[in-house]
Amino acid sequence: MKTLLTTMLMIISLSASTALLAQDNPLRVGMSGQYFPFTFVEQDELKGFDVDIMNALGKEMGRDIKYETANFSGLFGMLESGRIDTVANQITITEERQKAYIFSDPYVYDGAQVVVKTGNTEIQGVEDLKGKTVAVNLGSNFEALLRELPYADEINIKTYDSNLERDTALGRVDAFVMDRVSASQIIKEKPLPLALAGPTFSQITNAYPFRDTEAGRALRDEVNQALATLRENGTLTSISEKWFGTDITQP
Amino acid sequence: MDVLNVDYMLGLVPVLLRYLPLTLQLATVGMVLALILACLFAVVRVLAIPVLNQLTIVFISFFRGTPLLVQLFLFYYGLPQLVSALTVIDGITATIMGLTMHFSAYMAESIRAAIVGVDRSQTEAALSIGMTNGQLMRRIVLPQATRVALPTLMNYFIDMIKATSLAFTLGVTELMGATQKEASGSFLYFEAFIVAAIMYWIVVELLSKLQHYLEIRLNKAYSR
Repeated sequence: MKTLLTTMLMIISLSASTALLAQDNPLRVGMSGQYFPFTFVEQDELKGFDVDIMNALGKEMGRDIKYETANFSGLFGMLESGRIDTVANQITITEERQKAYIFSDPYVYDGAQVVVKTGNTEIQGVEDLKGKTVAVNLGSNFEALLRELPYADEINIKTYDSNLERDTALGRVDAFVMDRVSASQIIKEKPLPLALAGPTFSQITNAYPFRDTEAGRALRDEVNQALATLRENGTLTSISEKWFGTDITQP
Repeated sequence: MDVLNVDYMLGLVPVLLRYLPLTLQLATVGMVLALILACLFAVVRVLAIPVLNQLTIVFISFFRGTPLLVQLFLFYYGLPQLVSALTVIDGITATIMGLTMHFSAYMAESIRAAIVGVDRSQTEAALSIGMTNGQLMRRIVLPQATRVALPTLMNYFIDMIKATSLAFTLGVTELMGATQKEASGSFLYFEAFIVAAIMYWIVVELLSKLQHYLEIRLNKAYSR
């Protein structure tokens, strides 16, 4: 009886404190709103895989999520200057970023993919990019991936703030490199003449970056705990199935 | 895909219209502040007030000599790195700060030119009948200078409205930011951006009408 009472009291105080947290302490999340199907806007409504996962995490943690949208190139500046707590925009864990930030556990496992205009048989994979003009998003990890290739000097890398798939379809660049999942999604859903070229290269894991401070570490631990729960109870898998028809949240 | 998706464009109009007020707010507040600052600068330059004059020259040189986007990044991302308390500068504030300083530098020079352009003999006449410097400015020089400066100042205002489209880089979802996000959701770039372009165009057209009306009013004294 006594234990039951204590448990009830604990539950009440816990739910009271989470309710309090939800009001006073929203998690401020930055995203570009321009990375289909992870984060995009339709009729003024922010949608996408990253929005769904973040909302589920917020519910699990008992926190409101406050979304801040900005061009991708501005997101890390906002994180650095303390205007947001983390970035939910398929941020790939890299050595360089790990020097500046701490990361949550990965929630997406993917690979880099070359995409060309339909009918381009010249490029059939990453090794065919020699001497070609290749588009990547400004500040994205794919630029670094390309520069690591032994023949990187022979690739003309063009960085874009947005709309690189458009320029590839128009033939202004020979190819673009993006993660396989969103590339397939673009090809499947959008009326652009694009095709995947060859298999993926370089496996990547995506996670949430936090500032390397006491508060940042506490937030990361909180997010990790919620992520583990959502992974166990199948929420991550079902959100992934909804958007991609496949589970990208497992290695 | 080959034909213009008119339904999508029409559906987008009310959505984007929600963001037009913010665009206009950024530009209007920026313009009012820039005008005040520019008038101060112009007076300092015309009267060649020591120290202030030199500071103004450096200020104008910097803000005319560097791109607006660089200045916006300096205010928004740069300053908080030096002083962490400056994180309180949000995207809207940083945008208005950038627009104000950038355009005041340009406008100061055209206001100065308009003041200098008022015939010197009028100044001498006013002073000879005992007007103070303040009276001289208020009654003689500024009314004439306003008329001369108006077309170029309107030009800067128009330019400023379009310059607000940089604000999305600082996380401010104004007209351009909203359009970019909608376009990346639908992949109908042409449709989305043409709607935004027409909205900017209409606003600027209305301003040109206002300018025309103001010019007629200010020219009244000169028409026969």
